[in-house]
Amino acid sequence: MSMNFSEFKKLIGADPLNRDAETLHARQSSPEFEAAATEAEAFEEKLQAAVLVTPPGDLLDQIKGISQQPVRRRNWVPLALAASLLVFVGAAGLVWKQSNQWDSVEAYVADHYSHDGSAVIAKAGEILPKEDIAKILTRLDARADEQLAGLITVIKYCPTPDGRGAHMVVSTDQGPMTIIYMPEVQATDGEVVRFDQMHASLVNLEHGSAAIIGSGSQNTDSLVVMVRDSFKTGLIDA
Amino acid sequence: MTNDTDRTHRFNELAEAYSTDLYRYAMWICRNDALAKDLVQETFLRAWRALDSLKDVKAAKSWLITILRREYARTFERKVPPFTDLEKVTIEDNDELKPDERTERDLLRKGILKLDSKYRDPLLLQVVFGHSCAEISEQLGISKSAVMTQLFRAREKLKAQMQKDGVTGNVHELF
Repeated sequence: MSMNFSEFKKLIGADPLNRDAETLHARQSSPEFEAAATEAEAFEEKLQAAVLVTPPGDLLDQIKGISQQPVRRRNWVPLALAASLLVFVGAAGLVWKQSNQWDSVEAYVADHYSHDGSAVIAKAGEILPKEDIAKILTRLDARADEQLAGLITVIKYCPTPDGRGAHMVVSTDQGPMTIIYMPEVQATDGEVVRFDQMHASLVNLEHGSAAIIGSGSQNTDSLVVMVRDSFKTGLIDA
Repeated sequence: MTNDTDRTHRFNELAEAYSTDLYRYAMWICRNDALAKDLVQETFLRAWRALDSLKDVKAAKSWLITILRREYARTFERKVPPFTDLEKVTIEDNDELKPDERTERDLLRKGILKLDSKYRDPLLLQVVFGHSCAEISEQLGISKSAVMTQLFRAREKLKAQMQKDGVTGNVHELF
């Protein structure tokens, strides 16, 4: 059964590029149908041009950077055992708190990075304006010199075992790496913490400490040196 | 190691194939460039983690759209972002457009922004991703006939809006 003009208009209004046999047959059945179809196609062409929004130039590179992050492949047997134990211990211990729940700096660094390290790296974009970096670090009585500040792509406050700290992502020639500054925490200088295919080098600073975190293939040595040289703490009076 | 390389290769292919369209879709549904970028990054971050669950590469586009829509729902529930002034967003411009064609395109963009999400969502899935009505039906979980009705009405509303703005000369009030 052939469709009438009203049905045809609804059909091409819903799907102007429809090329099924019934639509084509209807289209060819009269000049009125053909004109309506041509008009719908012309409108569609304009609509398709109108939605073209250009993504930020760095979007694709940032997305590809995600694949540099290790995937945490879970072994379900230990997880099931852990879950049973946690039920026994109680739900209170399950929550990632912003208080002194960590037994050690090492445990904190591993837990913190597992919590949001990859997600924060995924948000890394252009190098941040110096003012944005200074705004946060000044409140923590710290400062990054030109060289280090010129690498920072993300900075935000974060909880540490003792008060507030800063979570930063820096752009290096080995890809993005993470620095966590802990103003009130002393670490074992030079210690390397390994977790989930990541490694964190701990650095004691004038005030507090920092963890420089990279994935398995990344070498943190040069960034450790830069943090020692370029990250100043306890120097800001203002 | 080979598996990791393959995985990265698969992921990068998805990023190259779909990141632009996902960004466009995100931009038009949330109307905020910063959130759109975040949404697309978060979408791919989740996709990277769950890549092994994607068995059929033909389903990748719908899979990514589903991730993005869920993430948008979560984000939007947490906070309503300020809408971006579209003039500040880089939009692919066709320099060869005549002034009246440019005006028409701007009116169309304004119309898309004004559409209720009930009409905008299926329209964007069709126009940005080239989804068929059946695919939109599956993506949105509504019947194919409902999709066709919404698509038809979306276009009618756009045409009506353009006619209204064109007639009253509202082009200077865009965005």
